[in-house]
Amino acid sequence: MNEIEIQYFAVLRERAGTSREMVSTTAATAADLYDELAVRHAFGLPRAMLRVAVNDEFAEWSRPLAAGDRVVFIPPVAGG
Amino acid sequence: MRAFAFSSEPLAPDRCREALVDPSAGGYASFEGWVRDHSEGRTVHRLEYEAFESLAVKEGERIVAEAVRRFGVTRAACVHRVGSLAIGELAVWVGVSAAHRGEAFAACRYIIDEVKHRVPIWKKEHYSDGDSGWVNCERCAAAAHAHEPADGHDHGQADAAPAGGAAFSHDYSRQTALPEVGAAGQSRLAAASVLVIGAGGLGVPVLQYLAAAGIGRIGIVDGDVIEASNLHRQPLYGVADVGRSKALVAAERLRALNRDVRIDAHETHATADNIDGLLAPHDLVIECTDNFRAKFLVNDAVVRAQKTAVFASVHQYEGQLQVYRPLPHWPCLRCLWPEAPRDGLIGNCAEAGVLGPVPATLGALQAMQALKRLLGLDAGEPPSLVMVDLLTLATRRLAARRNAACDHENIGVAAPSGAARLELEFETLAQAFESGLELVDIREPWERAHDPPGLQIPAHLPLSELMHGRANFPAEGRYLIICAHGVRSLSLTEHLRSLGHAEVYSLRGGLAALRS
Repeated sequence: MNEIEIQYFAVLRERAGTSREMVSTTAATAADLYDELAVRHAFGLPRAMLRVAVNDEFAEWSRPLAAGDRVVFIPPVAGG
Repeated sequence: MRAFAFSSEPLAPDRCREALVDPSAGGYASFEGWVRDHSEGRTVHRLEYEAFESLAVKEGERIVAEAVRRFGVTRAACVHRVGSLAIGELAVWVGVSAAHRGEAFAACRYIIDEVKHRVPIWKKEHYSDGDSGWVNCERCAAAAHAHEPADGHDHGQADAAPAGGAAFSHDYSRQTALPEVGAAGQSRLAAASVLVIGAGGLGVPVLQYLAAAGIGRIGIVDGDVIEASNLHRQPLYGVADVGRSKALVAAERLRALNRDVRIDAHETHATADNIDGLLAPHDLVIECTDNFRAKFLVNDAVVRAQKTAVFASVHQYEGQLQVYRPLPHWPCLRCLWPEAPRDGLIGNCAEAGVLGPVPATLGALQAMQALKRLLGLDAGEPPSLVMVDLLTLATRRLAARRNAACDHENIGVAAPSGAARLELEFETLAQAFESGLELVDIREPWERAHDPPGLQIPAHLPLSELMHGRANFPAEGRYLIICAHGVRSLSLTEHLRSLGHAEVYSLRGGLAALRS
């Protein structure tokens, strides 16, 4: 189990009802983690529409996770 | 025929036009300036034009050559009248032939604007009260540098003159006092030319701060009119402006703010057909629209043209900021978002709601990024997406990298420009009902709650339901898809067409474009 800090933005924040949470997870990659959280929070957005950043850098979905990673899920936004 | 000429005889546009015909030209655009019967509140009944011809012809030819080179058009020409002209007579003619209409319109606009500013022509106005007066067009343009729409000789001086009537010289001392700016930096700003696409929540602060800073030339692109619901986050506009063109009102306000700045107002949305021409005269682009379609269109165009662009977007209390620079390792919008998102999936301001200071903050950041780039103050700033949360005041910079799979050499060229028609226009809802298409309203339920009784569409399929797979669009039938402003409906129409649904259309401009 890894302790991971997660930050949500925009529609994901609304769905999760929080902008930040700590989770204990067995997810091996960023993709696994999103899929796990998508079920828990009923995220409607498919992963292909989002980007993930780990420790302040954009990352591939296949990126392996380590304890203490800070993960941000970012939906694109268009308002102006 | 010479590229630029004076004529003491009445002009015949048909004859002028013949000189532009060329087998490689696919279109022709022209402008005619006419003598009108009023000037700054006085009734005019006749005009006389005089020119310093040897000098004026040289300058005129230079302008036409610049337009041909700058916009890549086939041929161009301009003829200006001299002598006495009656009301309604043709005073100036400009014609351009080109492979495509975008360049033809842009070059035509460029020529008439530059002729009015740079060519030494004097005009004597004869007023109905028997009085008359000379107006030196070049001089007043040089003094005011007010870039009025090419509509004759309206220099808009009266309303913008500073109190006291003395010549007003802009004082930039509070910014030139910065050691990194100085007089050299101010000259760089004065020499810069910036295009601002979208004059809404983001665009308003961008325009105000850039004009105030003394940027030499600013283009404004916005095809919308000001709506009452805009004012809370676009305080450049007032109650009396509702219903007027955003681009024109913004231009008016900016001219009043800083007369050193040349302002070009384009009353149009950015489209695949006009974007390259709109970008051409500018060094830097600031993208301030509220939809993905426009953002990716602008992204592709700046990557093609190798120009710097500053993008921003907001969603409720959050914003994102990204700069594109034409450097080999630098990521563009598509590098971050290879799947261009569809509008409607993630709300814009109309759907999601927003507090005014959120786009204002992001717009101010855009203006700052632009000034930093123009002044060379951004050295060492790595490519990144900056996220700002105005509720928590947290900002986060995410380092971004060029995506090798994103082909900057051929970006956007496969865009379906000129493909089968996606949008239909109707004047009233009744006409749309009579078209034989089945009307489908894809707005969210709460958006329909305020509909007046005469504007109700029975068939309702909220886009959010379709997007989340809770409803399906019927596979058979002929449909006109309708939303508030025509952005979400166009996006859904494109999506359905890509799935093979041949007979779906989007109502252009949405319900807002209908005559009630």
